[in-house]
Amino acid sequence: MNSFLRTFARNRGAVIGLCILVAVVAIAILAPLLYPGSPWRMVHRPFLAPFVLDRAPLGSDTVGRDILAGLVHGSRVSLLIGLVSTLVALLVGVPLGAISGYFGGWVDAALMRVTEFFQTIPSFALAIVIVSILQPSVGSIVLAIAIVSWPPVARLVRGEVLSVRTRDYVQAAIVTGQPVHKVILTEVLPNVVSPVIVLASLMTATAILLESSLSFLGLGDPNVMSWGYMVGSGRSRVLDQWWISFIPGTAIFVTVLALNLIGEGLNDAFNPSLRGRRT
Amino acid sequence: MTGFNKRELLKAGVAGLAAGELFFGLSPLANGSITALAQSPKRGGAVRAVVHPEPSSLMLGLVQNTPTQMVAGSIYESLLKYGHDLKPIPSLAERWEISEDGKAYTFHLKRNVKWHDGKPFTADDVVFSTDVFLRELHPRWRPVATTHVERIEKLDDFTVRYQLKNPFGPFILMFELSTTPIVPRHLYAGTDYKTNPNNNTPIGTGPFKLAEWTRGSHIKLTRNPDYHVQGLPNLDEIYWQIIPDAAARVVAYETGAVDILTGGTVENFDVAKLAKMKNTAVTGKGWEMIAPLSWLWFNHRQGLMAKKSFRQAVMYGMDRDFAKDVIWNGLARLASGPVSSKTRFYSDKVAAYGFDPAKAKALLKESGYKGEPIRLLALPYGEAWTRWAEAVKQNLTDIGMNIQLVTTDVAGYGQRLSDWDFDLAFTWLSQFGDPALGVARTYVSSNIAKGSPWNNVAGYSNPEVDRLFAEAAAANGEAARQELYTKVQQILVEDLPVAWMLELEFPTIYRSNFNNLIKTATGMNDAFQDAWKA
Amino acid sequence: MTFALFLLRKALGAAVILIAIAALNFFLLRLAPGDPAQVMAGEAGAGDAVFLQQLRERFGLDRSLAEQFWLYIKGMLSLDLGFSYRQQRPVLDLILERLPATLLLTGTALIISLAAGVTLGVVAARRVGRASDSAIMTGSLVFYAMPLFWLAIIAQIVFSKYLGWLPNVGYESMGAGYTGARRTLDIGWHLIMPATTLGLFFTAVYARMMRSSMIEVSRFDYVKTAYAKGLTPGAVVRHHMVPNAILPVVTLAGLQAGQLVGGSLLVETVFAWPGIGRLLFDALLQRDYQVLLGVFFTCSAMVILFNILTDLMYRFVDPRIEAVS
Repeated sequence: MNSFLRTFARNRGAVIGLCILVAVVAIAILAPLLYPGSPWRMVHRPFLAPFVLDRAPLGSDTVGRDILAGLVHGSRVSLLIGLVSTLVALLVGVPLGAISGYFGGWVDAALMRVTEFFQTIPSFALAIVIVSILQPSVGSIVLAIAIVSWPPVARLVRGEVLSVRTRDYVQAAIVTGQPVHKVILTEVLPNVVSPVIVLASLMTATAILLESSLSFLGLGDPNVMSWGYMVGSGRSRVLDQWWISFIPGTAIFVTVLALNLIGEGLNDAFNPSLRGRRT
Repeated sequence: MTGFNKRELLKAGVAGLAAGELFFGLSPLANGSITALAQSPKRGGAVRAVVHPEPSSLMLGLVQNTPTQMVAGSIYESLLKYGHDLKPIPSLAERWEISEDGKAYTFHLKRNVKWHDGKPFTADDVVFSTDVFLRELHPRWRPVATTHVERIEKLDDFTVRYQLKNPFGPFILMFELSTTPIVPRHLYAGTDYKTNPNNNTPIGTGPFKLAEWTRGSHIKLTRNPDYHVQGLPNLDEIYWQIIPDAAARVVAYETGAVDILTGGTVENFDVAKLAKMKNTAVTGKGWEMIAPLSWLWFNHRQGLMAKKSFRQAVMYGMDRDFAKDVIWNGLARLASGPVSSKTRFYSDKVAAYGFDPAKAKALLKESGYKGEPIRLLALPYGEAWTRWAEAVKQNLTDIGMNIQLVTTDVAGYGQRLSDWDFDLAFTWLSQFGDPALGVARTYVSSNIAKGSPWNNVAGYSNPEVDRLFAEAAAANGEAARQELYTKVQQILVEDLPVAWMLELEFPTIYRSNFNNLIKTATGMNDAFQDAWKA
Repeated sequence: MTFALFLLRKALGAAVILIAIAALNFFLLRLAPGDPAQVMAGEAGAGDAVFLQQLRERFGLDRSLAEQFWLYIKGMLSLDLGFSYRQQRPVLDLILERLPATLLLTGTALIISLAAGVTLGVVAARRVGRASDSAIMTGSLVFYAMPLFWLAIIAQIVFSKYLGWLPNVGYESMGAGYTGARRTLDIGWHLIMPATTLGLFFTAVYARMMRSSMIEVSRFDYVKTAYAKGLTPGAVVRHHMVPNAILPVVTLAGLQAGQLVGGSLLVETVFAWPGIGRLLFDALLQRDYQVLLGVFFTCSAMVILFNILTDLMYRFVDPRIEAVS
């Protein structure tokens, strides 16, 4: 574990990413304290530029809402959607992949056909259809993102399980007559945790991007302030009041970048061999 | 006139525009009067205009959505056009008479009019279009034809008479292009209209013909050399470009890729900026027939909404000036009631509602509201509408209401309205020039029926209002109608069946070297007959 | 397994998946609230019961769901994807007329991203651990972490509005009347911005994949042998490492074909590119089910085709794969 931490800490990008993520999470948690009011309140003159007014350090948007307040409250929704949809995708993908890889045979064939099936449908198009059918809300957005993002998890877990299953200690557990679910849970899955964690950090990043794309097309939840919503609603002003969409866009960009850097750092730390010829 | 060349006049006009305030409809460049004096029209050239969304079809007899009207308006024609004051102007009919009793309308058609395929246009086409084709298919013509028209007859090859069952004042407005487009009898009689292959290659009598339609990209129209007005049209080609993103449309205009941004294709907050560009004119004219009026529906079937005090609370609680100035960038007017100030028989002798949150709070309390969630259905027509819904939600939250904003796409919106599945809902509807055509439908109780989002979806019912609208439609003479309509407006504004918001403007932005563009009450729909490029 | 058998198996699998996709989409779409007849009536500005009923009959919406589905599958088997009453044309025509634009856009984007990704990956792999390695990897991440539509809008502002180098909308200049080579150039000029925007997003993915694949390959014996034979490092990379390391990248590209099509939807919207992504979104808004189903079907078929092609390429490059599959 120590060597893991040391490897991770040596990766500068990953450490920076982690710092950013911790800061974003802290802001999200503290949002109600930092900006007690609703971020939807129209408290300023519209189109106020950043750094002009002390009360509105990042300016105001098209109808005079405080951009910093939106940013702070938006972090909660963007993170929430990213994390929850990833979690749901894991809850679907991990068991499917584990069962598929563990049992093999026709079970594997059938489950992998289903996975392939979902990978074949253009994922963004499917997400759009699902959200518009269920009406835009945090719930439908999370569901749509989860539905389009579980197949890679299943494939990854299946691959890992396939190789882990043949190992001696797993075989030993099977031979000693342990029930199947116990073998999978205690012997097989712990070995696939690290690649799944890496994938999860990348998926969270992708989910945040997906949410913003949905908002761009007008399919965001109208009752919650998210970064994607802010970019979408300010995009037509980007020529003249660039800050309205540029600031939340940067927030998305920085957070997604941080998550990717962390994912990469984790990957390197879990697989030191991949770091190759570093001396 | 010789001392002045046109370029100088244009420059003067542009300078004036840039220096002073921008007055919609008053800009000298917008109505073309000065430039028209300066020089006679020039032949040739192409114009590139934006249409959004892409029309689904150009067969105007089958499809009458706004984009189809704009593009097909240069291909098809009707008997009349209408000036900005809604007075009829000759088109396919060169003159007409209305009998003393207001029940017979006789139209004398232009001779020497040819369809785009070379066949002659006659009274047979008019009778076929209005008595057969449109009577079967047109959602606005059919009810009028069924209720008010006794017979449509051809008197000779170039004369048609409409005999009505009773006087119907707005009938003269029914010969507008999107209401009664004249379609070629020789191509449609006896066929299945909806699957007729000619629908993809529309044949009209208009100044332009369809040359090519690359779906998702553009529609190209070319000059009709055999047009029935000598020497017209002036332009050689029209390119209607399809650009789905509003911000991209603005950049396309700024970079010179398009010449005309039709009404509603850019967000209103971009209008002021574009108006400051060189060689650019802006006009709010050309929407007199539609006269868009926006309001909030109350669903009178939900207990609270049936209470007048609750409806008044909403009305007093909304900051309509903010919506006008910030969301619509000043390109709007506070609506005083059910009839737009641009529509015939408008009256301003009605009660006024201002922005008064304190009064709103008191009224809300009086209505017995206890914080129940109220769903507000937004209109999915673009950025401005979404911002407006958010602002109204905030206004109403401030007076103590618990508002849940509901967004959906156009299809979902229509479904919710027609299933009466809403509490409050945004809308705007067309006035069609006359209260009998575009206003009564929202308030009369005979128009309460599930399944359509354009009838009385609020479920408002008032026998007095029903009676007045019925009498006014059939009354003979303007004065008699005005009196009845004034009365009904007073009753409605007092009763507040819906919360009227704004009369909207959808300005057209164009390069000022295009002249004679918008000259009628239907604006861009017949903009290119005698337009010319300097 | 013979080649013919391999193809047959792939084709059968593809057919099953396509029918399943058609079924899923068919029922999914009909769950959506909103009635296409009403959308059309709404655009007409009014609609009474007679009009709505007429429209429903035209759309075939008055039949039972099962009957509608059966008719659809039956048509699909004869490559008839139905008729769009809204646009008054067969769905297949609508799609075929839009497909070239999307293929041109996604194809160019794919080439850009693969070329840039592979190059960056190779360069980084040869400098593992050095500052230039991290710079390349983090730099390519920048475009990956940006919302695609946002990148597209910023590109428009910079390259069209301020620099005036590239057109911001459409696929050719209107009214210019170009023909032949001049027209091809004009289309190419319009293609640069959308294709690069879409391509940049995927560059990071391929660069990463290429880098780790190169590192993996470098440990194989034949690479060591090549070095031992005295080949220059450049020659070893070019002739021995890249051809092998590129395989997983190609597989990944195959798997991401679906994402590419989805991304093209956003890019087509912002740049007014007349492809099928735009057709799909418009059809969704208008509940034009037949078109929507048709586009879904076509996109899925494209992804499957692409996957089969990568499989074939694998077999061609590395016959040992056969034993594994």
